[in-house]
Amino acid sequence: MRAVFETWGTALAGLAVVLFFVVAAPNFASPTNLLNIVKETSFLAILALGFTLALITAELDLSIADVASLAAVVTGFLIHGGHPPALAVAAGLGVGLLCGLVNGVSVTRLRVPALIATLGMAAMARGLGFMLTEGVSFVGRWPTGFTGLARASVWGIPALVLWMAGAAAIALVLVKATRTGARMTATGEAEEAARLSGIATARMKRIGLALSGLAAGLTAVLLTASLSSAAPNMAGDYFLYAIAAVLLGMTMVEPGRANIPGTLIAALTLKVLGNGLVLMGAAYYVQDIVLGFIIIASVAVSASVMRKAPLRL
Amino acid sequence: MTPILSLAGITKRYGGVEALKGVDLDVHQGEILAVCGDNGAGKSTLIRIVSGAHEASGGEMRLHGAPVVFRSPHDALTRGIATIYQDLALAPRLSIAENVFMGAELVRPLLLPFVKMLDRKGMRTAARGYLERLQVPVTDMRRPVERLSGGQRQAVAIARALHWNARLVIMDEPTAALGVKETGLVLDLIRRLKAEGRTVVLISHNMADVVALADRVAILKGGRKVIDRPLKGLDADTLAHMVMTGVDRT
Repeated sequence: MRAVFETWGTALAGLAVVLFFVVAAPNFASPTNLLNIVKETSFLAILALGFTLALITAELDLSIADVASLAAVVTGFLIHGGHPPALAVAAGLGVGLLCGLVNGVSVTRLRVPALIATLGMAAMARGLGFMLTEGVSFVGRWPTGFTGLARASVWGIPALVLWMAGAAAIALVLVKATRTGARMTATGEAEEAARLSGIATARMKRIGLALSGLAAGLTAVLLTASLSSAAPNMAGDYFLYAIAAVLLGMTMVEPGRANIPGTLIAALTLKVLGNGLVLMGAAYYVQDIVLGFIIIASVAVSASVMRKAPLRL
Repeated sequence: MTPILSLAGITKRYGGVEALKGVDLDVHQGEILAVCGDNGAGKSTLIRIVSGAHEASGGEMRLHGAPVVFRSPHDALTRGIATIYQDLALAPRLSIAENVFMGAELVRPLLLPFVKMLDRKGMRTAARGYLERLQVPVTDMRRPVERLSGGQRQAVAIARALHWNARLVIMDEPTAALGVKETGLVLDLIRRLKAEGRTVVLISHNMADVVALADRVAILKGGRKVIDRPLKGLDADTLAHMVMTGVDRT
């Protein structure tokens, strides 16, 4: 019983939140609203999956949201300039990946703690985003070949949901079923033991941070396609949400460890919470207060399960 | 016979501190060599160099007579030298199987050629096999290492060395922090390694362990080897005195 509670306690709490809004929030349970929540969750979930992969190697990536904004602006810039969608998408993903690689090199080669390295990257990405746009947004009637990436449906399933499912499946297989995933996990769990066992721990950290950047790039492309616009700081609101999703996810499934299913469930829970609060007429700033509380409480819950601090950062 | 491992004039400086001041040491095939010394004598530095965790500042290391340089623990492992560190060897929250195969996972070809898929079932079966060989009765290879006793943890670390098929196993204070019964278990494990024809270098503060196991003892003091002799005829008290003074008065 105790084990069930430790593994699924916060997920059940999330379910309770859903049931509460079904009863209490007007229109919450309408199919349109529920589908909207799931679609909205995909941006957050993909971004948070990247953060999860970095955290599995015990590195933080505080640059995800700003890197996503920069990648969105680059994608929008190219689409707006009439370039082929494939090029714009590749550039968006490439910018994310490149930022992630730079983070990885800063952390492993230059020995800058991830907290500092990725904070610096966040500031640079934000600055570059504003430089590229001169502070305004790219908006337009963009080709459906591009916007369809986020707005189309396949066999009645919204593309965004498929992207989220695909990203989660790849991340899950990577972590649980591949040698690289096992080595990333070992690096995060016990870096010195992993190194002494012959694992190239620095490379594992670079992979984690690079994938985090790539996930930010994918989030950016989908966000840009979905909104038909790109603006500096457009992913800024996702920063706290993504961190909260990963930390809340660490309280479930594999308590005390960043894990893919936990991140997904937590991302959905947070979006439900945000949506429900809005429907009940809560002011926008209430979300920030709730998120902040969830971030702190999640780490406290993980700490109580592990009987020590879950993060050494 | 050529020593399995031969160190000549090994030095190591950390900044201004000279931790090793030219150590010569031969390790012979099939023996249990105990390396003793007070804190700061240079034992840890020496095994870190042999295991590839640190590089020596000077001197030469020969493996089966051929000069070698280890730039990483991986280099040493692939050349048949496995080191079991006191507290650093295992990831407590990972399973027995994950720990035994850490850094040398079993994989099977699937999907794409460059994606190495784990063979988790194979690893559990093989891990159980290694523990059976060491006569340690643990059945659930999914159990996290943190839920094992101290002796069982050492068995997991030794199983990892078996998986690497290490010819030379270096053990750093394997019985520190263990109770009497657990210590007995670990001593048996080390005897089993020897019985399999493997060579063991035992770093220990515990003179009773050394007397119970070692064929030969080398004593370090102040970064030099001061004594190197067969164990024969030594008891724990005499040995402890030799470690303290660095003088062989027998």
